[in-house]
Amino acid sequence: MTDPLIRAEAIDKVYTKDGRAEVVALRDVSITIDRGEFVAIVGASGSGKSTLMNLLGCLDRPTRGQIRLEGTLVSALDDEALAVVRNQKIGFVFQIFNLLPRTTALENVELPLLYSTRRDIVGLARRALEAVGFPLDRLRHHPGELSGGQQQRVALARAIVNDPEIVFADEPTGNLDTESSAEIMALFQRLNAQGRTVVVVTHEPDVARYARRIIRISDGAIVQDEANDPPAELQQPGPIAMSSSNEVRQ
Amino acid sequence: MRARTASKVAWAGLSRNRLRTFLMMIGIVVGITALTLVLSAGLGAEKRVMERVRKFGLSSLMVSAGGGTERGRTAGMTPAVTLKLTDADALKRELSSIEEVAPFARLSQADVSYAGRPSTAGVFGVTPAWAPVWDWDAAEGEFITDEDVTALARVAVLGPTARKDLFGDADPMGETIQIGSAPFVVKGVMEVKGTSPGGGDMDNRVYVPLSTLMRRLANVDYLNGIKLRLLSADDIDQTVPAIRALLREQHRLAAGVPDDFSITTPTEITQMAGEVAGTFNVFLVVVAGISLLAGGVVVANIMLISVTERRREIGLRKAVGARSADIQQQFLLEAIAITVTGGMLGIVIGFAGARILEWVTSTPTVLSWESVVAGIVFSSLVGVVAGLQPARRAARLTPVDALRA
Repeated sequence: MTDPLIRAEAIDKVYTKDGRAEVVALRDVSITIDRGEFVAIVGASGSGKSTLMNLLGCLDRPTRGQIRLEGTLVSALDDEALAVVRNQKIGFVFQIFNLLPRTTALENVELPLLYSTRRDIVGLARRALEAVGFPLDRLRHHPGELSGGQQQRVALARAIVNDPEIVFADEPTGNLDTESSAEIMALFQRLNAQGRTVVVVTHEPDVARYARRIIRISDGAIVQDEANDPPAELQQPGPIAMSSSNEVRQ
Repeated sequence: MRARTASKVAWAGLSRNRLRTFLMMIGIVVGITALTLVLSAGLGAEKRVMERVRKFGLSSLMVSAGGGTERGRTAGMTPAVTLKLTDADALKRELSSIEEVAPFARLSQADVSYAGRPSTAGVFGVTPAWAPVWDWDAAEGEFITDEDVTALARVAVLGPTARKDLFGDADPMGETIQIGSAPFVVKGVMEVKGTSPGGGDMDNRVYVPLSTLMRRLANVDYLNGIKLRLLSADDIDQTVPAIRALLREQHRLAAGVPDDFSITTPTEITQMAGEVAGTFNVFLVVVAGISLLAGGVVVANIMLISVTERRREIGLRKAVGARSADIQQQFLLEAIAITVTGGMLGIVIGFAGARILEWVTSTPTVLSWESVVAGIVFSSLVGVVAGLQPARRAARLTPVDALRA
């Protein structure tokens, strides 16, 4: 396939509040993301970076412009078709974890599978949790009984359980301490090293440093787009724990 | 989403907030309990009507003196004097489809006493045919015989209620009671019959020979009615016009003159009793309907609030691939699960309540499959109606809006 993973061309996003005052969140943004990239979208609060993620993640449609995912014009798809795209191609990690309360870690990870046609839901969810280093003796714990780092691992497992092409993360370390943040970012690096495309939206330069490409956005427009070489101490070599999942499968 | 998964998701949604689920359920439980009670009591009433018809006799007819709606009376409230013993004889002689003819005359509220112990009872003058026509005989001693009638004997057979009123637990056989001022010797006690189609106690009666009542007690030459039993219940429709024609001829009624008698059939008895029960049932069904409606409104309200409360959950589900139809299905299933569970609880409580009602008021109730089916159907219906709007609202949320909350 010669198509890039994502190609957005001249997209605008305009919000209408109460049917009159228009807020332009994005103006004439074009961006291409290839398979295997680790991109950080950086910007201040209100710069439009979350809007961009919502559009690239097929959560929303642009007001103008076109977005293609693997060559498919997703900006023209209806809600139902977009839901299928999100289910099969895209994983999300949200800032505040967004886990279902009073629901076990395992069941939270199963959630995307419920809306797919996959079989062996429990097995897939278990393997995803194992891949992100979630302690397997806590599978039946509710989010309230887990630490912040563990909750974000559950959210990460949920994002990859459907084996998506691309994982989007919106401020994934926003609610975590420094140590947990480093662990989670290392996990994203491992995911990327395994070949998965990762897009992280953040306002923290420390988080962006893990990425291989940093896109700065300000006032709804891209102001900088450059390659980044993560410092040596942030490099996470080797495959992630996914390869050892044979033990669990039994 | 597969149906099993969908119900699992809906059930998980409910068990995550037990208090909310419980509150939503209460109204439905009350409504279905009421509905079940109504149906149980209604079927009980129907059963009672059928019992009464059976008591009246499925192949029986009653010819009463007096025409039109005022049975037993002519206009002006004087007793109808049109039915005579000759009419009874003619019916027996002329119509082959009639098996038994039981003419009777009656003093509806006569003073009866034993050893100075006063009471009131209906005094019936009858012939021996009374027993087979009603399928009703003496439990002790014997019923009125042909000899009693011929001899104008001063003998009496007591209904169980009259016997209890006059004698308590003492043995009445051979004792002498007073009807008005005339002495009668008790020669039998009737089997229990219960309540009449009109609601009276058919056991508070004293039977004497027809001739004795007509000539010695009441001094009349007319009957109150003639009870008939046909050879077959199938003959009723053909026999009623034949009886009419014969009696009109007997009474020499010209064409155009209304009947001076009336004929009651088992069908009419059913209708009479059914009308009373029907009015009552309509009222109760309305009550049950109102409580179900209130329950449904509560479910719809709390569901709407819960949709707002659970925006984040809805947004998350949509973000990971739930289609609008999946969300709508989930909320609809939650509503139906609540109302059907409430409905089943209501059925159980309603059945228990029906049993208690029967025990306390001795009104018969019937626990039936119809009540179970009606309970489940109505509670699911309420669930669908109450859940539809909240479910649609939930399905309409866009993932971005829902996640932003």
